[in-house]
Amino acid sequence: MSSDSSSTSGDEFTNPNPNPNSTSKPLEDQFASAALTEPDNEPPEIQESPNGVVNGSVSENNHGEIERNERGGAVGSNLEARQSVRWRRTNSEVEVEAPSSPSSSGYAGERGSSSGSGSSGGFEMIGGGIGGDDDEIQEVSNVDSIQDSQASWMPGKRHVDEDDASLSWRKRKKHFFILSNSGKPIYSRYGDEHKLAGFSATLQAIISFVENGGDRVKLVRAGNHQVVFLVKGPIYLVCISCTEEPYESLRGQLELIYGQMLLILTKSVNRCFEKNPKFDMTPLLGGTDVVFSSLIHSFSWNPATFLHAYTCLPLAYATRQAAGAILQDVADSGVLFAILMCKHKVISLVGAQKASLHPDDMLLLANFVMSSESFRTSESFSPICLPRYNPMAFLYAYVHYLDVDTYLMLLTTSSDAFYHLKDCRIRIEMVLLKSNVLSEVQRSMLDGGMHVEDLPTDPLPRSGTLSPHLGQPRDSPESFREPFVGIGGPAGLWHFMYRSIFLDQYVSSEFSPPINSPRKQKRLYRAYQNLYASMHDKGIGPHKTQFRRDENYVLLCWVTQDFELYAAFDPLADKAVAIKTCNRVCQWVKDVENEIFLLGASPFSW
Amino acid sequence: MGMSAATTAAEGIKFCIFDLRRGQQEGQELDKILFFFPADLPFSAQLSVIGLSEGLITFTRIFSPEAACEVIEAERHSHVFYEAEPDIWMVMVVEKNESEAIWRIDALRKVLKEVHSLFLMFHGSIRTMIEKEPAGGLIRSHLYPFIMDYLSACQKRSLLDNCCWDFLLGKKLQLPSFRDCLKERGTVQMLTVSREAAIEVQSLVRVLESFAGNTQFYSLILFQDLLVSTTLSPVDTINLFTYAVLRLTPRALSSGVSSWSYLRKGSTTSNVATGSILAQSASVSEQNFRSRDTSPPGGDNSHHIARPLQPDRWSKGKDGFLVTDIWGAEASSSTSATPTIWLQQTEERVYVCAYQYRSLTLILLVPVASILGEQGVSAVKQQILENASLKMLKIEEKLSKGWAGENAYHVSGYRYLLVDGDRDVSRASPPGKVTTLTKESLLALSKVREEVDLEKGRMEHDNAGQEKDLEVCIRAKNNAWVIARITKGKELYMVLEKANETVLYASDAVEKFSNRYCNGAFSLD
Repeated sequence: MSSDSSSTSGDEFTNPNPNPNSTSKPLEDQFASAALTEPDNEPPEIQESPNGVVNGSVSENNHGEIERNERGGAVGSNLEARQSVRWRRTNSEVEVEAPSSPSSSGYAGERGSSSGSGSSGGFEMIGGGIGGDDDEIQEVSNVDSIQDSQASWMPGKRHVDEDDASLSWRKRKKHFFILSNSGKPIYSRYGDEHKLAGFSATLQAIISFVENGGDRVKLVRAGNHQVVFLVKGPIYLVCISCTEEPYESLRGQLELIYGQMLLILTKSVNRCFEKNPKFDMTPLLGGTDVVFSSLIHSFSWNPATFLHAYTCLPLAYATRQAAGAILQDVADSGVLFAILMCKHKVISLVGAQKASLHPDDMLLLANFVMSSESFRTSESFSPICLPRYNPMAFLYAYVHYLDVDTYLMLLTTSSDAFYHLKDCRIRIEMVLLKSNVLSEVQRSMLDGGMHVEDLPTDPLPRSGTLSPHLGQPRDSPESFREPFVGIGGPAGLWHFMYRSIFLDQYVSSEFSPPINSPRKQKRLYRAYQNLYASMHDKGIGPHKTQFRRDENYVLLCWVTQDFELYAAFDPLADKAVAIKTCNRVCQWVKDVENEIFLLGASPFSW
Repeated sequence: MGMSAATTAAEGIKFCIFDLRRGQQEGQELDKILFFFPADLPFSAQLSVIGLSEGLITFTRIFSPEAACEVIEAERHSHVFYEAEPDIWMVMVVEKNESEAIWRIDALRKVLKEVHSLFLMFHGSIRTMIEKEPAGGLIRSHLYPFIMDYLSACQKRSLLDNCCWDFLLGKKLQLPSFRDCLKERGTVQMLTVSREAAIEVQSLVRVLESFAGNTQFYSLILFQDLLVSTTLSPVDTINLFTYAVLRLTPRALSSGVSSWSYLRKGSTTSNVATGSILAQSASVSEQNFRSRDTSPPGGDNSHHIARPLQPDRWSKGKDGFLVTDIWGAEASSSTSATPTIWLQQTEERVYVCAYQYRSLTLILLVPVASILGEQGVSAVKQQILENASLKMLKIEEKLSKGWAGENAYHVSGYRYLLVDGDRDVSRASPPGKVTTLTKESLLALSKVREEVDLEKGRMEHDNAGQEKDLEVCIRAKNNAWVIARITKGKELYMVLEKANETVLYASDAVEKFSNRYCNGAFSLD
């Protein structure tokens, strides 16, 4: 977006009917596929077809490019390098833009996905869809699915044809905006940023009006809507939501979005605004919509986004030890962090010397990698910034998928370590294969984690083996999966989350009936968010215990110096029995902590 | 006691009323402003407050057309919005600080609601008054003294008082803060009476009704600051009850005298009626209004305006009737000197006859249309003396005997607030007992109430029709139990300090309380 496009989009702002050309899907699909077959157009985010199938392949010239540009290693030049890397993405944007379509190539893929989910009623509308529930995403077709809620989610930005004049846009349940302090749009969850220039200017005006009065606006409430503001230097972030999430949660989400932006650009982007207040940042983020939309989606299913902890894939202690050992080996050879993950769960991670990784950084990094299709297709070497580690500097991430869900990330400060890291990866992969870690990982994925139905009635004997499955013997994974129908745990226990404060890790039970649809899962997730915010009040918290009963649940929360427990029960559950059950859950977690947590990792001293 | 103070001089609080239908032309923005406190704030600063408010009302309507901006939370201030009448907005801006100025938004909004309800009762709607005199002089000259009197209601309330406060003490403006989380504005506090006394009261009410002949009179009876009986609609009951506790009950009459004499000593101003700062700012404001008022009566219309909230203007006559010269000022304009108010329910104008015997206050409301002016009023008064005063004497005796004093509703070990939303009635631990709670406990309860306020708001907005059923039981950092129970339109808030640490103990305590004092409304089985 050029600097003068904001002024022209002022006209579009009042025009309820966007350019009809821009909505012509086949044309865009053509462009999309054209872009995909172009070997030069390497941006990973673009190479995603509507149905999520990977069309492109990322060549190593990604790595070559960075090497060429960033030999200096200074932060500023890193940013320029990023700019030049991104330029190649926006390059195609210009090409696409020429033939009368305003869509960038970055949008092309997303538009594809929007045609996939489309206006078939899947999107969130207040009072629309099924009973006006707070579901945002395509619940209609998935209400009865027992899949994880994230399984049904389609990546990428949707509804780009909307703007603030559209009724459908106004009725979206949760908007996110990033804008510059001069009012230029940088990102909008829904609608085309270019067309939202006028709206963006309004947001900027509100923030600066209050600022001129010597204050800083945090929240505006109107009916069921909340408008949450976060100012980060020259970057303004705004959330407009009617999802009933507490202010603290929404603010935390804006912090994460800002962190995600830093992960892509580093904080040195501020300098661009110092030099030129009207600086247009959108080209720098070109094609990263999918990263943000995936992060935003995780706000409605991933407890890590508010617990500020990470979760591990359940594995036998020995298996995780084996994985940790080889990662440690590599870390000793100049790798800053070596992280082995399966989806959003950690298998093992190792930090060099005293380096420690903040759970939020892990969340943002994993989101960045998982949402970018290109990482899946071949090994990649990409500059990234860990905002909690050092918001000013780029690190370099070598990323390689070992199988469809399992990926290895090796982080280094050196921009020319690609070949070294590649060698490391080969070594790691060999060891993991030999020691059966990867097959154990797949097995664990199939088995799932802790099921409330398996809550032991009596405390387990501390000695003796706990496997095969988290202390509860099972015949075999196969025979268990097929006939298994969850019935909820004892005493009406439906679900729990346990966060170890010392480890910075949490474990969450698998969803069982009646929490079996994405919609119900999201509702429970929101209830946990509220409970978390209520317990962790900034002024007077944290509280010690909370019992909360409404028409949906009995919720119990217990915060100690060592752990936090959140448990959800049937709303008719007996209080006394529920409390006993919580004690048993805590005992159970302690009994199997070797398998569900990564122990003995370097301390996360934050 | 216990209320947070914001220094008006340090612009700790701003309070404005504006009309979005006015001043739409550029350069005429000042026309929007119907009331602004502090009045000596430069116009540019006043317009800045109103500009931001208007901007956000417009902005939020994009997403929430049916419920526009309710609050702006900034780092240093909270802006509380209330749309009193269509397009007529009241906005209060309060400063926050770490120690005492911690507000519950809903409690502040109820202040706005209350002042507007009282204004309706005495003067009718703001819109009507604007329409009567579109230049705006009339409404401004009514709003200004009214709200200043409301804010400055200068009697220091007794510990017994649960619900009505006075906001301006000396230079400090007192607003409900977290320390008032065991109170509920906009509700009525009832006296629990024995069956025997209740029968007597009923018989008195029937006698009063019989005075009316073919029309209908309404009555409100208070013992001390507690309601004994009402034949008014709930909304009118709340308004008149609020006013009575502020200005008419024996406590209101007596405490006014003492605190007033104290103030007089310290004040050199000759303006006895209003109190120092307010009088000054009032005159500043009147000048302001005049300077932009083009309406002819501008200069001296303030003399004709009844100021029903003005302190210390009521006194008890020898015959037992409460008298005031507030309305007498209007005598020149050939209206009656007997106070009149508007009933919202029936939209009729009624005379207010207040008769007091010791702790018992009777307020009889006589429709203006039903009798012949002052003569009619005197006739009704005569009837009260002849037919009702003896009954009142008996009732007063009975109630006084059964009255356990200001700690009558204290329940040992508990600090509580019980609200019956359907009847707009509340009962709470006596304020003197609430002050024994630690700041942490009060803050925790205030936060829980805020959560409950939000949930209740959602229920309202969603129009779900189902009643909220909620139980929250928190063990706070200081080991106090902070409890909220919402069920079937009733709310119970509670703080238990020095209690056992299990949740079961806390819920047992609620259960016992519920069975004993709430007819089991909050019991689980």
